[in-house]
Amino acid sequence: MDTVTLTIDGRSITVAKGTTVLQAAIEHGIQIPYYCYHPALGIDGSCRVCLVKIEKMPKLQTACSTLCADGMVVDTQSPEVVEARAGVFEFLLINHPLDCPVCDKGGECPLQDYSYTFGPDASRMDFPRRTFDGEGAGADVDFGPTLLINRNRCILCSRCVRFMRDIDGDPQIGIEDRGNGSHIVTFQDKGVHSILSGNLMDVCPVGALLARDYRFKSRPWDNPIAVDTVCTLCAKGCSITAWLRAKPEWAKGPRLARVTPRYNPQVNDYWMCDIGRFEYHFTESDRRLRRPLRRTDDGVLQPEGWRGVLARLREEFEAADTPGERRTIAFLASAHASIEELVVLGQIARALNGEGAERQVGVSWRVSEKPQPAGTKFKVPRVDAPNVAGAIDLGVGAPPLEDGGPDLSALKAQVEAGRVDVLYVLDPGPAGSIGDLSWVIEARAQGRIRLLVVQGVLMTDLAAAADLVLPGATYLEKDACYTNEQGIVQAASRAIAPPGDAMEDWQILVNVGAALGAGVAWASTAEIRADVAAAMPDRPGYADLPRLAFAKPAIARTWLQTSNPSERWKWDALFKDLPPVKFKGKAETSPRRDLDD
Amino acid sequence: MTFHPEMRYEEGLHVSRRERRDEGEPFAFTPENRQRLEAIASHYPPEHRRSAVIPALYLVQDQQGYVTASAIRHVASVIGCTEAEVDDVVTYYAMFFRKPVGRYVIQVCRTLSCALRGAERVAAELKRALGVEVGQTDPTGTFTLMEMECLGACDRAPVVMVNNELWHECQSPDQVGAMLDGLREKGPAALTGCHLEVEKKRGPAGP
Ligand code: SF4
Ligand code: SF4
Ligand code: FES
Ligand code: FES
Repeated sequence: MDTVTLTIDGRSITVAKGTTVLQAAIEHGIQIPYYCYHPALGIDGSCRVCLVKIEKMPKLQTACSTLCADGMVVDTQSPEVVEARAGVFEFLLINHPLDCPVCDKGGECPLQDYSYTFGPDASRMDFPRRTFDGEGAGADVDFGPTLLINRNRCILCSRCVRFMRDIDGDPQIGIEDRGNGSHIVTFQDKGVHSILSGNLMDVCPVGALLARDYRFKSRPWDNPIAVDTVCTLCAKGCSITAWLRAKPEWAKGPRLARVTPRYNPQVNDYWMCDIGRFEYHFTESDRRLRRPLRRTDDGVLQPEGWRGVLARLREEFEAADTPGERRTIAFLASAHASIEELVVLGQIARALNGEGAERQVGVSWRVSEKPQPAGTKFKVPRVDAPNVAGAIDLGVGAPPLEDGGPDLSALKAQVEAGRVDVLYVLDPGPAGSIGDLSWVIEARAQGRIRLLVVQGVLMTDLAAAADLVLPGATYLEKDACYTNEQGIVQAASRAIAPPGDAMEDWQILVNVGAALGAGVAWASTAEIRADVAAAMPDRPGYADLPRLAFAKPAIARTWLQTSNPSERWKWDALFKDLPPVKFKGKAETSPRRDLDD
Repeated sequence: MTFHPEMRYEEGLHVSRRERRDEGEPFAFTPENRQRLEAIASHYPPEHRRSAVIPALYLVQDQQGYVTASAIRHVASVIGCTEAEVDDVVTYYAMFFRKPVGRYVIQVCRTLSCALRGAERVAAELKRALGVEVGQTDPTGTFTLMEMECLGACDRAPVVMVNNELWHECQSPDQVGAMLDGLREKGPAALTGCHLEVEKKRGPAGP
């Protein structure tokens, strides 16, 4: 690769040809502020804060739009740069409201941080500020179903305009009017309607674009604990960071404050979709199952101990209609089940129903169309489950139908023919993600299934129809692996503990296996992964399973976990003199939970 | 609009107080105007058809005087871009009108050269003669008065432009009445030649 060597602030730096001065500086930890530049949205040259002095050039240059050349001598600290940069900040702030105390971005706002570092101490602006829609939080006005906009805070970097144009593929955002009156609008105020809208809040370098979901909910110092994990709400498997509130266990309200995308060039780049960003709430919703439930003789679902429900399951399974026989049991797993869970489930099926029975385990998922513009750079898959590819690779369940949907015909036929006495459903995903199972509910209502067991996380219609309900864990409550649509095996880490008596799903399955006499001997998910790796030595993704790392909740170094890796330097550089956040993260682990201990 | 069966959206939490674009009557180019647009668009490579946005908007104004939201939608669909992008252009340029205007839009330059040569007095005289403020249309719907930035004819300041293409130069306040009367009587013909007159007077070599 061709390289060029230049000097920035006296340091000799060699970078690839075609690198801009700003990129070179970021790569080498030299501090140049920037707003309109974004690694995925390219160069705009509109904010002017990246001014540097380049020898032999008569005027200051914008570092973001100047290509490095051999022998270039760049100075980012000379008095004229410092003064000009401070001047730009003074201009950026002449109309900017003093909203930081009520602004969602406060605490992780590049405008705050850069102004603090590079800006002047005081403003000389004597005139009233220009305001668009009112003042303070009152100026947060409608900007589509997921967003609000506060035009007074906008610094017109045009990142949002470029995101819609270049990434989303449908340029719905524009800049109306000109000069001092310029402001960000959608045509006729109809707002941004895009499944990628949440990313606009990430790209906006100030608190101008706000997500309704996160508005007034917390600030970075309220949720200082972060877990790097993977979203499992569709087959893409975006890398995300889950942010946890620092609060004692007994305090009311959810612990999960938000999820943000994490840079992963293989899968999701800098982005994630609105489903992953806003739908994780089901994890801490009121409909969560917290205790095992059992249907009493009067037909009501009553809380029951783990031992009680498992004993009931064994009884039902062993009770014979014809002497010398057991009842037949069939399994139906959502493709939200992880690799580990599918392995245990397959093993139980094989132990109870004989060799090859894991192929007869039904695997189900929902397919939903997501309207997106043709030119979008971030396509959200149709499949609403993370592990369809994993199930296929493990040989659990039938291959998908041509339209991408699940093939449940074999199981359906058996149920319709009344050959299934006990149906065991594993559904650790959000409501409905397992697909349409009304036929199961109907079969149970008509008595074709004698016992319906649902291991899940939410009180869904299916759980409400079940005889035994076993509370499991969502993807944010367990360490588990999933294979995304590209065939990449990814680790989703445990951020919080499952609620109440709920257990991680593999633990439940191990106990169910023991109760049914299926003899499953794994003591940890690591053992399961090691077995999968041993069975698939020639599949790199699976052979490396034992080396897959799970993140633990850790004190976030705030924007260190940002989706935009080029913004990380500022947290290293700007605040190194300040003491780290005062909260201590609590690492949460998940040992095997045996019923007998 | 929703993307996903499980997504909860709230709509209409706050409403912006900004003025929205006039919806207007449903708009479509007349066949002649459409033809004119296609002729203009053929100057650009097909993948840059959107470059015809400014001529397209002028055609809209030719056809109905001002640019409405429906017209923006139509233009966007005809030249292949989004409404937001057309709206950007409409709001950026002062010569696209977002409210109905009179038959003659009188635009008085107020930039440096014209200001030094007394453009303010011309504007004041126009206001007095028409009985309107800048930005308003007179009650007969004939004249709209506007102030503009440099019209690019500084050497013949002060400059008044009528309907984007007719210049009236070296304007003095006492000529205003005659100009208005001329427009009322002869229409645009009252102004054509003004530029040429000046040139003629000075001769081809200039002063
Ligand atoms: S955008 Fe940043 S600087 Fe502006 S009010 Fe919000 S936190 Fe403060
Ligand atoms: S709303 Fe945010 S992203 Fe968009 S131009 Fe303004 S500051 Fe930039
Ligand atoms: S980052 Fe260089 S001008 Fe904005
Ligand atoms: S200043 Fe009036 S035309 Fe240039």
